[in-house]
Amino acid sequence: MRLSLTYQGIPIWRHSRILSWTGQIVSGILVVAAVAFFISNVATAMDQRDIPFGWSFLNREYSTPISEHLLPYEESDTFAYAFLVAATNTLMVSVVGVILATTLGIIVGALQLSGNWVVGKAATVYVEVFRNVPLLVQLFFWYILLLGLPPVREGIILFNAVFLNNNAGLSFPWPEGQQRPGLWLLCVVLAIALGIATKFFLERREERTGRPSYPWLGLFGVVIAGSLAAWLVWVAIGNAPYVMSVPHPEGRFGHPVGGYTISIELTALLLGLVIYTAAFIAEIVRGGLQSVSRGQSEASRSLGLGTMQTLRFVTFPQALRVIVPPLISQYLNLTKNSSLALAIGYADLTSVAKTMTQTAPAVTIFLIIMGIYLLYSLAYSLIGNLYNRHIQFTGG
Amino acid sequence: MSRRGRLVRGLAAGLALAFAMLLGTACATTADPAIEEAAADTEAETVTAPAVSSRLATVRERGRLICASLNDTPGFGYVDESGNSVGFDIDLCRAVAAAVLGDPDAVEIRLITAAERGPVMQSGEVDLLVYVTTWTTSRDASWGNFVQTMFYDGQGFMAPKSLGVTSAYELAGASVCVNTGTTSELNMADFFRQNGMEYNPKTFEESQVAFEAYKSGACEVFTTDRSALTALRSSLENPAEHIILPETISEEPLGPMVPHGDEQWFDIVKTVMGILIYAEAYGINSGNVDEMAAGDNVKAKRLLGTEGSFGQEELGLDQSVGQTVIELVGNYGEIYARNLGPETNIDLPREGSRNALWSNAPCSDCPKGGQIYSQPLR
Repeated sequence: MRLSLTYQGIPIWRHSRILSWTGQIVSGILVVAAVAFFISNVATAMDQRDIPFGWSFLNREYSTPISEHLLPYEESDTFAYAFLVAATNTLMVSVVGVILATTLGIIVGALQLSGNWVVGKAATVYVEVFRNVPLLVQLFFWYILLLGLPPVREGIILFNAVFLNNNAGLSFPWPEGQQRPGLWLLCVVLAIALGIATKFFLERREERTGRPSYPWLGLFGVVIAGSLAAWLVWVAIGNAPYVMSVPHPEGRFGHPVGGYTISIELTALLLGLVIYTAAFIAEIVRGGLQSVSRGQSEASRSLGLGTMQTLRFVTFPQALRVIVPPLISQYLNLTKNSSLALAIGYADLTSVAKTMTQTAPAVTIFLIIMGIYLLYSLAYSLIGNLYNRHIQFTGG
Repeated sequence: MSRRGRLVRGLAAGLALAFAMLLGTACATTADPAIEEAAADTEAETVTAPAVSSRLATVRERGRLICASLNDTPGFGYVDESGNSVGFDIDLCRAVAAAVLGDPDAVEIRLITAAERGPVMQSGEVDLLVYVTTWTTSRDASWGNFVQTMFYDGQGFMAPKSLGVTSAYELAGASVCVNTGTTSELNMADFFRQNGMEYNPKTFEESQVAFEAYKSGACEVFTTDRSALTALRSSLENPAEHIILPETISEEPLGPMVPHGDEQWFDIVKTVMGILIYAEAYGINSGNVDEMAAGDNVKAKRLLGTEGSFGQEELGLDQSVGQTVIELVGNYGEIYARNLGPETNIDLPREGSRNALWSNAPCSDCPKGGQIYSQPLR
């Protein structure tokens, strides 16, 4: 008897394409069904318990003060605008926090690898201490520490211009717009653009002719000259665009008015976030630097580069490829952790939103702030990923 | 090719059909309350509020009452040296537990922050909220049902005497510490705005942190209900160095609250509050319950269940619920004296205040009665 060896095709249960499509479709169904279940569950529960939901409150007056705000804010502003004010506060904390934490983290990370035993160990102790204590506890610690500052009546005053106390925080002189400050700033921006073009041109010239053309000097020269010229034009027409506003005590309680004030709440929040996050960043930087093979730094040393030059031109650029992806997730953590501000009385997005829930539907408010945090995180991810792509090996 | 193509297409069509059916089921679930409830019941029992079945049955089955309350205000709700929750509000929780379960200790005090009160009530995860909570119309509409006012209060301001402030109208430019999620936060905003005064609010999630900031001088002023201010001042090292400003800027009727959706439970808690108040009015206290139950005061005997009824059966309570509550927890006056009276550090005077009984004014020339009143118990 002869066996039939006619090819009958792959049986469907072993066909890779069919299997993979089936897998995709089944998991798709499960995901959609799960989401649909949760949404319907929320809707039913909200319906049963008469939990209010709606967006109309956004145009209503918020009529509650926000203690500290970057954007101008009045109690008669709407909820929608109050969201913007609070979201800007959070964005400011996040951006300032990220810059400071990155700086501190890189320094500590590099110090951990320093040949100096004491410095290296000190950096390690810093990392281990701040990485292993809950952030909320650290925030309370910094806040209680700052509460130890003298109250305003016995506060510290330097040169009659800088005030430090536990009511207002740190107040110092700060320029205040006088005559069309926005227009002057625009002139400065134009000068910067011109400066960059000059630098570019001078760099080309240097490459072409081989004669030193000082591109950086060109950049700063153009920017300073342009801004100064615009300033003089302003003065000639009438008033300077900005005047220095010096804080001075006012009213029965003698709180400093004018200048710029950084509250102890904001200081405690930034201290906590920066020191905590920098500990993680330091570890990422250390890991990144160690991932670059020793041969690289040895080669650069043998070419005559110094320690700092080796770090700056050889080790660090290569380490960046390892550092950047986990760094982005630390930025996201810092931004999200800033919502702990509520515990120490800083008016961040979460804190303002929580006050809002008293007079407006909580579910809507929390959906909005979730959206805003998501937006921030996605923006960080996008910028981080673009930068990451930029610094990867491009081949060739 | 054609065979395989057909197969793939058929499979895809089948899956699409299955997908549509699943979606349909998900939607149908929303429409069918029976399925919803069954699904809800399988989840954590304490988290979901049964829509139809009674909370009374749930509490009895569970064997303890879940009561949301506070631990940061001496007199009203705080933790004593031995780690027990005590206070005026805690005693109201205990009275309900005594009425429903026959044991005032069969209560689980869930300590929450002020801002969590709304979500906790809306989700129905607690049976009762007694949290110096001001009865306002919007809370009544969106949180749960206010039972009745058990304490009349109003918002005030406290400041160190050394500042020389004597009136709330002198507070322009001050930093004010306040707890977030409270009516205090909103009233304060109204007050300063109404009077055209600038101020710097510092809002905190935890009232302990807010008070810590006040103690260190980071805010000149602390604001909350006057009774709580008095209580907090008593906890300061030098209470005499702080002044509670004379202005009362708001109306704060405080009382317990039950979740929406169970009228029987709402009625039960109302009745328990009535028992506490009428027991005081009739002169029944934890010491003389037996005597009064056997005595000749008909109203007192009705309250104690030895004569007639005030609706115990309809409410699902024992005939002797009045006896149990008063014997184990005491009447309104005893609860007040124990937590806020002259023998405590707080010493909030009751006689002549709004928190005296209404019935203290039976005659035209005797001292004015208070506002503590309840619907007749019969």
